[in-house]
Amino acid sequence: MILIYDNSFEGFLTLVYKVYYEKLKPTRILNKKPNELYLDDYIFIDYDEELASKVLKALKTKFKKKYFQRILNIFMCDSKDFELDLLNYIIIGFKNQQQLENINNSSIFNILNLEKELFQHIHKMEGFLRFEELDDGTLYAKMQTKFNVAYFLGKHFFKRLNNQRYIIHDINRKIAFIKNDDFLGIQNIASFEEPNLSSNEEKFKKLWSQFFNSVSIESRKNNKCQMNQVPLLYRTYMSEFYTR
Amino acid sequence: MKKDIYEKMDILANSAKYDVSCSSSGSDNNYKTGELGATHNSGICHSFTADGRCVSLLKVLLTNYCIYDCAYCVNRSSNSEIPRAAFSPRELADITINFYKRNYIEGLFLSSGIISSEDHTMVMILRTLKILRHEYKFNGYIHVKLIPGSSNELTEQIVNLANRVSSNIELPSDKSLRLLAPNKTRESVLQPLKFAKDVSLGKGKKPIGMSTQLIVGASPESDKDILKLSSALYNKALLKRVYYSAYIPVNDKDKNLPSIVTKPPLVREHRLYQADWLLRFYDFTYDEIVNDDNPNLDEDLDPKTFWALNNLNYFPMEINKVSKEELLRIPGIGARGVQKILNARRFKSLDFFDLKKLKISLKRAKYFITCKGKYQKEIPFYKDVIKTAIIAPKPKKIIAPSLFDIEYSNVTGEL
Repeated sequence: MILIYDNSFEGFLTLVYKVYYEKLKPTRILNKKPNELYLDDYIFIDYDEELASKVLKALKTKFKKKYFQRILNIFMCDSKDFELDLLNYIIIGFKNQQQLENINNSSIFNILNLEKELFQHIHKMEGFLRFEELDDGTLYAKMQTKFNVAYFLGKHFFKRLNNQRYIIHDINRKIAFIKNDDFLGIQNIASFEEPNLSSNEEKFKKLWSQFFNSVSIESRKNNKCQMNQVPLLYRTYMSEFYTR
Repeated sequence: MKKDIYEKMDILANSAKYDVSCSSSGSDNNYKTGELGATHNSGICHSFTADGRCVSLLKVLLTNYCIYDCAYCVNRSSNSEIPRAAFSPRELADITINFYKRNYIEGLFLSSGIISSEDHTMVMILRTLKILRHEYKFNGYIHVKLIPGSSNELTEQIVNLANRVSSNIELPSDKSLRLLAPNKTRESVLQPLKFAKDVSLGKGKKPIGMSTQLIVGASPESDKDILKLSSALYNKALLKRVYYSAYIPVNDKDKNLPSIVTKPPLVREHRLYQADWLLRFYDFTYDEIVNDDNPNLDEDLDPKTFWALNNLNYFPMEINKVSKEELLRIPGIGARGVQKILNARRFKSLDFFDLKKLKISLKRAKYFITCKGKYQKEIPFYKDVIKTAIIAPKPKKIIAPSLFDIEYSNVTGEL
């Protein structure tokens, strides 16, 4: 049996409710109607606000805080098929919270690994995100990431750029984390124009590339190691790899 | 002739690159509202250079003019082939802030050649720090290389402003120091570190993190001498980290040094780091890793495997029974693997398949463990046999199709 939901968190909560009360036994969960033909029968789950909020309430009361947070974190890994494992995780958690540490269970193991992958991705982006200074002094960063990490990054940079205004723009998901004098948080970005950079920007980019190239030791050159540490996926907006 | 800022950056980054230390970890100060910068406990790498090393801090010299003449160093005073330059404290502070805002770096790693006198150099460094900390309200990471032989008052002020200080011992014995760095002695190098420790302990704060660097392969010391020194430094809680740097020949005029054609001993450096980890995180003592029979680390085997093969009486270990400390001694299983095993065996008794499912690497570990009393079948439990199996794993059989071993019908293609 294949279940199809609308790819929203609330939609998934509705799905959890239906699985419990209509005793569904899904073998796969998809977030959109498949293009290929499946021989299994499939059921569409329509988002239902009431059912979803019931499930949410139950999760909040039954699950320990860190286990509940994990569910939300996993939902940020939107480029992975996590649904079936997450459903199992929730079912196990309702039965027995202690079993959520049992990594012999493959669903739990996958969920923990996926969360680890998310944190690793966030950590890499904390290092590899690049801001550019705009003509009004705002710091602006573009990114294209594997997972939805704008919120985590926004929180991270709130500490270190506390006296600055900044925008972290997730191009693919069309959202941005914005901090300015009167707004702090995530916003949807429908369309945008390429902003004007400050006059200093070119100078510091060039200086940074100069530093980057000078600090490398020729006799220890190791491109493979470099590639492992900074895969091409991350390099799109890292100017030191392009300007010389 | 006045040099432009790009040229200066080129010269001063180039002269600083042989310092390996680049960590920004170990200090977790909370941010202050309305100020710039914060440190991150795990440290953050912001880029990786073509040699595969992490760029975390803006690592530059304030100046590469130097009155010292250390044979192993590019910036020695007798080297007339390199260009010289200097940043002003203001210039450097501005670059640091602008790099930091763009998320290029975690902070500043500031070192310097000795210009006119030790104290004068320290004053310049201190001025840079004051601009950053007081004027720009910068709370990011700052690592300062202390200048041996400078006054205690200056050292104290620096210790109060920096997140980490270091002083490079460079050569593991006094004899080599005298030979290659005539202006330095072990005492003069360690003195600022000891003083810095006293200063930060006296304040009742968490002691400031300190590190040092040893050059490997420039002088004849064995790995045993090096590790003995490191473990002494760790045990006295003087240092958080010792860095090892394979000597890269930068001097072809000094007959006491390896010639310029010598390749840097990278494998040796790697093995030293592995051994260093065993000292810091795995509760090994240096004389377990190296001793008089084996004063140098084995190049083919990592130090943990080497130790295990020489102490086979502790093995094979039953994965479901032994303690955490014992699990940590199994080659190929690291701290994370141990954590996973401890976690998983609370729920069930583990076999080889379970370990594989937990993604624990068995490549080396399988020769040293039993699961529910079972030992793997392919390789018998003898030192030499295990050693050969680990060093040269059986090559996969490649089935190369040949034109001439025809075992099928020419006409139909059937067998």
